[in-house]
Amino acid sequence: MTVLKTSLRNFVAHKGRMALSAIAVLLSVAFVCGTLVFTDTTNATFDKLFASTASDVTVSPKGVSDNDTRQGRIRTLPGAELARLEKVNGVKSVTGDATSQSITVADRNDNNIGADSGAPTIGTNWDPTEKRSVKITSGHAPHGPTEVMVDADTARNKKLKLGDEVRVIAIPGEFRAKIVGIATFQVTNPGAAFLYTDTDTAQRKLLGAPGAYSSYAVTAQPGVSHEQLKKNVVADLGTGVKVQTKAESSAEAEDDIGSFLDVMKYAMLGFAGIAVLVGIFLIVNTFSMLVAQRTREIGLMRAIGSSRRQINRSVLIEALLLGVVGSILGVLGGVGLAVGLMKIMGSAGLHLSTDQLTVKPTTPVVGLAIGIVVTVIAAYIPARRAGKISPMAALRDAGTPADSKAGRIRGAIGTLLTAGGAAALVVAGNADKAADGSMFLGVGVVLTLIGFIVIGPLLAGLVVRALATVVLRIFGPVGRLAERNALRNPRRTGATGAALMIGLALVACLSVVGSSMVASATDELDKSVGADFIIGSDTGQPITKGIEQAVHQAKGLTHISDVKMIEKARLTLPDGTTVTKDLSAADPTYAEDLRTPVVSGDLSEAYGENAMSVPEGLAKDHKVKRGDTVTVTFAEGRTAKLTVAAITSDDVTLDKGALYLNITTVERYLPAKLMPADTMMLAQAKDGQEKAAYASLKAQLHHYPSVTVRDQTDYKKEVKDQVGQLLNLVYGLLALAIIVAVLGVVNTLALSVVERTREIGLMRAIGLSRRQMRRMIRLESVVIALFGALLGLGLGMGWGATAQKLLALEGLKTLEIPWPTIITVFIGSAVVGLVAALVPAFRAARMNVLNAIATE
Amino acid sequence: MTTAVSIPRTGGSGGHTAVAARARQVVKAYGSGETRVVALDHVDVDIARGQFTAIMGPSGSGKSTLMHCLAGLDTVSSGQIFIDETEITGLKDKKLTKLRRDRIGFIFQAFNLLPTLSAIENITLPMDIAGRKPERAWLDRVVETVGLSGRLKHRPSQLSGGQQQRVAVARALAARPEIIFGDEPTGNLDSRAGAEVLGFLKRSVDELGQTIVMVTHDPVAASYANRVLYLADGRIVDEMHNPTADLVLERMLHLSPGGDPRTPEDFDARGRVS
Repeated sequence: MTVLKTSLRNFVAHKGRMALSAIAVLLSVAFVCGTLVFTDTTNATFDKLFASTASDVTVSPKGVSDNDTRQGRIRTLPGAELARLEKVNGVKSVTGDATSQSITVADRNDNNIGADSGAPTIGTNWDPTEKRSVKITSGHAPHGPTEVMVDADTARNKKLKLGDEVRVIAIPGEFRAKIVGIATFQVTNPGAAFLYTDTDTAQRKLLGAPGAYSSYAVTAQPGVSHEQLKKNVVADLGTGVKVQTKAESSAEAEDDIGSFLDVMKYAMLGFAGIAVLVGIFLIVNTFSMLVAQRTREIGLMRAIGSSRRQINRSVLIEALLLGVVGSILGVLGGVGLAVGLMKIMGSAGLHLSTDQLTVKPTTPVVGLAIGIVVTVIAAYIPARRAGKISPMAALRDAGTPADSKAGRIRGAIGTLLTAGGAAALVVAGNADKAADGSMFLGVGVVLTLIGFIVIGPLLAGLVVRALATVVLRIFGPVGRLAERNALRNPRRTGATGAALMIGLALVACLSVVGSSMVASATDELDKSVGADFIIGSDTGQPITKGIEQAVHQAKGLTHISDVKMIEKARLTLPDGTTVTKDLSAADPTYAEDLRTPVVSGDLSEAYGENAMSVPEGLAKDHKVKRGDTVTVTFAEGRTAKLTVAAITSDDVTLDKGALYLNITTVERYLPAKLMPADTMMLAQAKDGQEKAAYASLKAQLHHYPSVTVRDQTDYKKEVKDQVGQLLNLVYGLLALAIIVAVLGVVNTLALSVVERTREIGLMRAIGLSRRQMRRMIRLESVVIALFGALLGLGLGMGWGATAQKLLALEGLKTLEIPWPTIITVFIGSAVVGLVAALVPAFRAARMNVLNAIATE
Repeated sequence: MTTAVSIPRTGGSGGHTAVAARARQVVKAYGSGETRVVALDHVDVDIARGQFTAIMGPSGSGKSTLMHCLAGLDTVSSGQIFIDETEITGLKDKKLTKLRRDRIGFIFQAFNLLPTLSAIENITLPMDIAGRKPERAWLDRVVETVGLSGRLKHRPSQLSGGQQQRVAVARALAARPEIIFGDEPTGNLDSRAGAEVLGFLKRSVDELGQTIVMVTHDPVAASYANRVLYLADGRIVDEMHNPTADLVLERMLHLSPGGDPRTPEDFDARGRVS
């Protein structure tokens, strides 16, 4: 009871000193809870959406895949089946759905009206199924081939109004139509842009199959279960179609979105975990310092009869209180964070309503558990140390707590761990197989990180001294005082620096990997890509016939190569085995556009009649030689006997493992309607006409916002931008861990200032000016920050370089250390150190000299 | 800016007048209205240069406050304080800090040294802060006199209490301040160590011409001084020249409030009003 009371009093008395620890707990817990609330809300939103849109039973063609859109493939069901379905037992009504995602809608200025978020544009017939979730809020339903309706969000975002003309680019061709209606979602619109036409227009112009449907929505008669209805439908239509109950089709849709959300959830929880880890350092430091400052008091408690366990427990109870307060605030913060995240997503096109805000009961439980457990664990070591304080401490002059020397055992363990980790990294760097290597990389990363944390206090001495000779000497005696203060408690400096180290190590590692990716891609482009221009869709839309023709009309080109992906061809190899592979069908000029080296034969011959190439690995595994015959069965097509004319090297990055053949060869065995759209087009300019050709291509493609033409420079820039965006996203998420680490620096300094009150008074008394006092504290802060930065950047660059060596097997061949980033982070850390010291330095300088000296 | 002009009999740097510090009608009051407490009540005092002055008085008499005000550590409510010819009342923190740094030395009762610095670094700290080079010969002499030659590289935690105070004395002397203020400098020492430090202070006055002002409640400590000032209720009520411990004790008993004789322990060091 008394233990609880003293803990409570202490907690309240030191609430200021606990504040930063509480914020650290709060931030970590808020991030965890925010992630959970956000993903749960998103899931709930989609659940509701799918539940409201799915029919009792849906009948769709077999073999529908995610690749269909890019391949420009549209699978339909004959319209006659509608009447047949209506007669099936238990069917109340059937509606035909004519939906295509292979469409692009452009406004008057040839701008894509699709969502900027990359969500698809969906063209569909305005039928009763749609009416379940969408209501016309302005204008009327579309009738005839020149009328369309769009959803309200798209209309608002893209500033479309009734009467505007749009151009629809679909697989069968393109057409112009007028917006006659605007429809508003009654459930949350996940973000896709919707275009509605009447059924006939959808069938003709979107699907290119008059009278056919992409799926049927079947409604059950009252009393007929969905399962029963499904059975009846299957019995009638046979197994040539896919029949799903409402539950099944909802689950399938949720799976797609759910797996994406899961990736996001675990990624964000991972970053939250890093922040939690960093927070532990802060909490350990706080409690260590509080215990140290209370040494005399604890000695007194021991002297008057408190047991070790009671002291130990009293510190842990304080930690518990901190954990509870921080976590409760964190849970609340998490809900706020989720709402903020939803707002951000809203501006990116994913509209989530706060009405759907889902806080599962597990969320606060998880948040509280993490916050409390982490805090108590972090406080355990300081608590044990408090228990070990002897009653004699009460009698000793408190002064400042004795410098805790970093022990030899700690050094040995840390060195061992680091050495083990380094060895694992070396093994990883030299691994032959990516899978083995990545395991060693993981082990190496973890071991070196723990090793650095363990020897942090020892390194603190070394690194701070080294930094001091470079940075602090110019500040004279104030610099020396700062150096001594930073060195005074190496364990504390080590822990504070290590917290910063973790975040910065990840930043350094990822920046090395990222810039190596860009450098490798650039090198590869220079080395093996002969094409001047690359044409493709960034949004996964097909290169339609219309686009193909437009490209072919561009001027100043020596050749244009079409590249198609022929999916799931079955190859029977000379050794009798059968494998299923995707084939790369292209024009012969593709061999000039992408110079894939061969180990045998001549690549241009692979584009000959009934010829193909196979990659080195496949050839080796199945003993395929040049001149051998491979039997190729095209999916839904015929069977061909093709001669292996070349064996390509596997030591490439682009098109690794591709099997090449001529499009004309494929045409012989695959019906024209099954021929997929181009996945990419490559073009080469006539000598000296590069600029003109580029301009001509751009002009030709101006009307097709779904595809982009890039020259090599643009392409390199695009790669760089994409990598840069990804890195920025990750840095943004790592910022949380870094903020917590910076709070740790502030915390350490603030508590140090309190601890050194008397010294500060003394220094001021004997003539240290306020400005010098502030500078002293700032310099200490800068040195601690730079210590963390140096360790983190060093460690991270090591990890990054190892990862690059390992990924060289996967094409990451060039190591590039992004020095500008590294140097910026290093200098930034110094700035962060300055900022962290602002308040502590101000408080130190403002202390009343006499009061400070008189402090016990 | 004072320079290190060495005048042997004045010890400190740049002092010219016979009075090292003056207080004129100094009032220090805390609080206001009914809770107003007057710690110093129109005090006039002259601190003679080259002399060892002790300030004594019972607990709450204002002796520490007087010293703090004279040293520029505390502000006064009214009145003037001069160090040499410089009026320090009304100076801004910046100038006051510089004054303390360049012209004043301090010895506190305890915790005089920075634990992160070695003895010699502590001794030269005020000069380092000022960016001045210590005068080698003088520094050696000071160090030798206080008997610390062998311990200069030691950290404070490796020194005894007496040694720590001697380092503090050396620090105060090393910069050759015009005046050194001691706040119960021997309060935490046993009598032998205390005698050592006091003897050393006295020698620095007699032989080096240093000016020292010391607050104490210990008649034995006061007996080392040339002159003892007695404070009671914020006023200087008496003084004694060339005191001995017995005379000091007698006078103190005599000065006790209500004439009630008390033991010297009642004149307690905790009288520091802060």
